[in-house]
Amino acid sequence: MKLSGSILLALLCVLALVLTPACNLSKASADDKSKVHVGIVFDIGGKDDRSFNASAWEGVKRAAKDYPIVLRDVEPGDPTSLEPAMRAFAEKGYDLIIGVGFTQTPVIQQVAHDYPNLKFAIIDGVVPPEEQLPNVAYLLFKEHQGSYLVGMIAARKSQTGTIGFIGGMDIPLIHRFEKGYEEGARAVNPNIKVIENYVGVTDVAWNNPGKGKELAVAQYGKGADVIFTAAGNSGLGAFDAAEQNGKFVIGVDSDQNWVKPGFVLTSMVKRVDNAVYQIVGDTVQSHFQGGVHVFGLDNKGIDYALDQYNEKLIPPDVLKDVEAAKQKIINGQIQVTDAMAK
Amino acid sequence: MNELLNIGLIYSTVRTATPLLLAALGGLYSERAGVINIALEGLMLVGAFTAAVVTHYTHSPWIGLTAAIAAGVLIAAIHAVLCISFKAQQVVSGMAINILLIGVPALLSGAFFESTGATPQIPLHELLQYAPVVIAFALVPVTWYVLYRTPFGLRLRAVGENPEAADAAGVSVTRIRYAGVLLSGALAAIGGAYLSIGQSSLFTRNMTAGRGFIALAALIFGKWRPVQTMLACLLFGLAEALATQMQGVVRVPVQFIQIIPYVLTMIVLAGFIGLSRAPRAIGIPYQKEK
Repeated sequence: MKLSGSILLALLCVLALVLTPACNLSKASADDKSKVHVGIVFDIGGKDDRSFNASAWEGVKRAAKDYPIVLRDVEPGDPTSLEPAMRAFAEKGYDLIIGVGFTQTPVIQQVAHDYPNLKFAIIDGVVPPEEQLPNVAYLLFKEHQGSYLVGMIAARKSQTGTIGFIGGMDIPLIHRFEKGYEEGARAVNPNIKVIENYVGVTDVAWNNPGKGKELAVAQYGKGADVIFTAAGNSGLGAFDAAEQNGKFVIGVDSDQNWVKPGFVLTSMVKRVDNAVYQIVGDTVQSHFQGGVHVFGLDNKGIDYALDQYNEKLIPPDVLKDVEAAKQKIINGQIQVTDAMAK
Repeated sequence: MNELLNIGLIYSTVRTATPLLLAALGGLYSERAGVINIALEGLMLVGAFTAAVVTHYTHSPWIGLTAAIAAGVLIAAIHAVLCISFKAQQVVSGMAINILLIGVPALLSGAFFESTGATPQIPLHELLQYAPVVIAFALVPVTWYVLYRTPFGLRLRAVGENPEAADAAGVSVTRIRYAGVLLSGALAAIGGAYLSIGQSSLFTRNMTAGRGFIALAALIFGKWRPVQTMLACLLFGLAEALATQMQGVVRVPVQFIQIIPYVLTMIVLAGFIGLSRAPRAIGIPYQKEK
């Protein structure tokens, strides 16, 4: 009896380990050496966060349709499996390896250093110039610019003079959303009150919709009537709170206006999809360039979403002012503070 | 300070405590019967996932909730078979289930929705916002009554304290322990279902975010007793709700508030707030004398 117990236990453990890494191999021809191989490692949120990762996934899928590439993706279950996933791609000689999210920056730096002949791209990977590697493309976004615009919309739409912000993990990157949003709101109404909350301080903070909802309910309770979320899956909890309280929420990264039509004022869109698509295209056409690639309002890497779900929610005069501010940011007449710039 | 003390804080406390309480009471049935159950996290996840999937297909959250309970019982049965019938190491089995349940929703959601670990959005259901809360708190007196006033409760405690004596008195240790573990699966699954179809409107990867472990902490903090466990859950819920309200008002680091449940549990385990004694036979498989 004792022995069979151990065997059964071992079986359960093996089953658990086999199923866990969620190593999804996209349907592509097995191993066609002539094609460019692209591997993408997602962030903890996973490619179904309807937000940041979803946008990256959208981009590579589009690239796979338009270019003859072999595409593989990994969704790590926890931060410790990021490096093995990335190394696995490198060992197999993948031509381009994409890391989604700032967490992977140190990992990609290490792996790219060990494999100087392969090309890498990291989204949101901020690295000081002296440490940048020639075979890594650092895809950065001016989130503060888009956040400024949605902050303006929030302040104009708010009737209570109080608006909210919910960040996922308390990190400098998300402070950039927060500061830009606040600045945009203050540009419209200098006396506006902005309530700011973060879900947590570990990567679990991206996957806790229950907590996201509690934060949103608390903010609505304190008088906020528009909340901007930059919290991955946790932000979806705020969407539920908006529906229940009949208030507004602003989506992030992907266009999330469709998630709760009528309650989503707009979305601060970060075109991770375009950035990823472009870097895959560059690699296929062999003019990949390392170094920093910046996406902002000027090259439509950042924008706010306007579609059939929210066009009735934003009055035309607000839209006009926001468009004017957008032009001014592009021309440099408005300088939005970048919370990450020191 | 007035900004902190409002009715919203109380609601928030209760909502936060509800999934913890359901899982902790589940853990109580299992552990009082002598079977360590660190699989609560996994059991909550399976409940959350099943509830969301079934609700999506049937459009009935009640069928979803029932299915969640069934799934919780099914997974708990794995734990029970391993730990009771095959006398496997209970912590290892629990851990394996937790890891398994990180992977399974990702795999199945791929088959159902071509997704990896999330379900589509489900419409919010008004009644389900409250029903699990009522169930959770109603279960506290029920559990107390069952534990201390019924023959089943007496047997449950007996097989957890002294299985030999219980066996000698003609109680089937195996059967009672199975009942305890299966009950824990059902209750933890309701807790998980509350997260996905009650509080939120979808399942996302690992959405329990460690609540199973906090429930376990509450169970230990509550000395494996129903009322104390409820108070522990409310305390942890209050800590979380306070953290929510305090952010942006008082500048207290979030980290500080998030460690409260764990620090309290360690203090209790160290014996500073009365003695917390585990059921005597916990973790020891029962070997019937030949």
